[in-house]
Amino acid sequence: MTAATAPARPAPPRARRVTPAAGPVRLLRIELRRSPMLWLLPLLAVLFYVSTYRPAMGNPPFWNIRSAMVQSHTMLVFAPLLAGAGAWTGSRDGRRGMGDLVGVTAVPRWAGQFATWAAATIWAELLYLGGVGVLYGVTAQQGAWGGPPWWPVAVGVAVVAASCALGFAAGVRLPGRFTAGLAALVVFLALAGGAFAIQDNQVYGQIWPLNVQGPFPPDSYGIFYPYLPDLAIAQLMFLAGLAAAALGALGLPAAAGGRWLRGAAAAVTVAGLAAAGTATGLAGTARVEAHGMVIPALHDAASDRPARYTPVCRPGTVPVCLQPAYRSFMPEVNAALGPLLGQLAGLPVAPVRVTQVAVTTVQSTPGNGINFGGPVIRGRPAVLYLPLAGVSLPGEGHTSAAQFAWFLRDQYAQEIVNELVGLPAGAVAIGLNQVGNPGHAAQFAVARALDQVLNLTGPPPPNDSSAPGPAGGDNAGSAPTGRSGRAGPGGTASDASSSPGQMQDAVDRFAAMSVAARHAWLGTHLAALRAGRIALSEIP
Amino acid sequence: MNVEIAGVTRRFGRTQAVAGVDLEAGPGVFGLVGPNGAGKTTLLRMLATVIPPSSGRLRLLGRDPGGYGGRRQIRRRLGYLPQNLGYYPGFTVAEFVEYFALLKEMPPGQVPGAVAAAVERVDLGGKARSKLRTLSGGMLRRAGIAQAIVNEPDLLLLDEPTAGLDPEQRVAFRALLRDLAQRATVIVSTHLVEDVGAACSEVAVMDTGRIVFHGTPDELTARAEGTDAAGDSPLERGYSAVLAAARSVAGARS
Repeated sequence: MTAATAPARPAPPRARRVTPAAGPVRLLRIELRRSPMLWLLPLLAVLFYVSTYRPAMGNPPFWNIRSAMVQSHTMLVFAPLLAGAGAWTGSRDGRRGMGDLVGVTAVPRWAGQFATWAAATIWAELLYLGGVGVLYGVTAQQGAWGGPPWWPVAVGVAVVAASCALGFAAGVRLPGRFTAGLAALVVFLALAGGAFAIQDNQVYGQIWPLNVQGPFPPDSYGIFYPYLPDLAIAQLMFLAGLAAAALGALGLPAAAGGRWLRGAAAAVTVAGLAAAGTATGLAGTARVEAHGMVIPALHDAASDRPARYTPVCRPGTVPVCLQPAYRSFMPEVNAALGPLLGQLAGLPVAPVRVTQVAVTTVQSTPGNGINFGGPVIRGRPAVLYLPLAGVSLPGEGHTSAAQFAWFLRDQYAQEIVNELVGLPAGAVAIGLNQVGNPGHAAQFAVARALDQVLNLTGPPPPNDSSAPGPAGGDNAGSAPTGRSGRAGPGGTASDASSSPGQMQDAVDRFAAMSVAARHAWLGTHLAALRAGRIALSEIP
Repeated sequence: MNVEIAGVTRRFGRTQAVAGVDLEAGPGVFGLVGPNGAGKTTLLRMLATVIPPSSGRLRLLGRDPGGYGGRRQIRRRLGYLPQNLGYYPGFTVAEFVEYFALLKEMPPGQVPGAVAAAVERVDLGGKARSKLRTLSGGMLRRAGIAQAIVNEPDLLLLDEPTAGLDPEQRVAFRALLRDLAQRATVIVSTHLVEDVGAACSEVAVMDTGRIVFHGTPDELTARAEGTDAAGDSPLERGYSAVLAAARSVAGARS
């Protein structure tokens, strides 16, 4: 101590202008410099790379796929860790025996705690947004069509803040060295429980913060129509409400501050709980519509207007036009559908053009599943409307280009043939016996012959386990409707007037015809075949 | 008077830690001595507005700490060093002191100068940028003192401030106390009677929650006269005599 030599009083205040916010800002600056969250940043960066960046780069450069990952993949690993780090930060005063010292300062304890929480949260947000920035930057460089959706990022930001706040509040209330681990575990279990809740209950469980667009696979929205923010808005309300309630509750004890401050804390807590409850209620009204999850009370009709784009077309006998985001898949689409379209060109009801559409039909199924309709032929002249929603694209989920083409051939091309010959939807699946129309036997035989000739039912390319079904990911739906193969002659595909042998004979006869003869026969008999007026024996 | 307390008690469940204390203190160094469990720390915590009294009247710096507004005003002009000083290991000495200067709502423009002065006064100028985790126990205690005096408090409460200080630092610390006490009320709780003799203008002896002696160090020394009280110094013998007398009275009452 240097009482004798040191100045008796601190140096006089320097003559400089000090803004009113300088005190809190300086407090925050100290907390930022010394926040325990800094120690966690390298781990979070590695986890972001492993959980999000690397899987995202393994997928095609679609904004919707990659933006879904920054919400669901990132937050699954971030949220528990951040809750733990928040709890560690919040328990600091308790663990360090600082309660008395910080409890007798003039600044309300609540304000001091807020600065500590804010510092931890700011670092976590900066890391998250930095990771998203890199991911989005690379995606833009890869030529992704359209613009990045920011709603999933906003939800991610809210998850970060809420996780830190919940953990922080737990740490303040229960200061101890095990609180951090417990907070992380509880948040992890809550997220895992949410995954189950959303499967069992399509109503309130939709608020689950990792839920991007309900059952919609990531590549099935936000391209033909704007990204529907309804669910994201509800999630933001929910998460902001949770964070406000957690932080507000810290201001309720008598030691937190004065009457007004505690009143404000109570108001914040109540408002937070109300917001979270309201958001959960709103999520309960969410329903599956054609282009995403719609919450009527939050829905903006402007989101229902189709996005403008100029299709990318490949000229030919039957031109194929794709949405520009799918430009790079044109070769696979042509390879899969080209031979069939060539065979059918010129027939009365054959499509003269192929146009990609968002979806043909969408149907939610129990267990938070979804069914997308397959291709449909409509209009005069006929146009084949081709949806690729829910189909794993090359590069998505380890799907190869060959597997994608095989899927289009095996599923979509067969559906096109079905529709062309007039087989009713579901006829193959339920069995012709139950359809009861003998004309379907001929339709079936012709369809099967075309399958055979065009090799539509070949074996899948190697690595069958990853053959493209509906897009993977957290929100993968079930297979598009009508995508089952045709049964063999001895299976369900026979009717009362035909034996399996007769059916196979008809298939073989029709397949053995020359291309020109088959085309000519179809040209003259397709209308009758579609009407069910051709018997099996009439097939040449 | 910076400190006015009358009939103050404090209970923790069935235990009465402070049992009706009356005290007034103005500028100067006020020593609070007593055996372990006498209630010194509880009394100091009440004076520091950490805990409210169970009963009695308490006025600090002319204000009632019962209301939030008054308490906040008091806290701006208060310095407090708890017996068990916690610290943030990752903070530097300067950051630790600045942190508390800001929490005490010092005008931000005055903070850098006040922090530098406080750190210098406890002789930690050379360690201002050192992390607290790297400091010895004595240095940590000095950092704690620095945060307590950074706002030039009008009421400074120090609970066992010299614990862990080496003899040289203890001497310097007493000089610092005398300097601070020219303007402020400094209440020092200690079990080291020599600190009282060297630095305090007034002293109170506490035992079982009560003040059993209140006077000057010389008056405390005089209490030993005519007794066979034990102690290595006259002041210690006075202290022992006061305690012995208080306990004999209490024993006779019971």
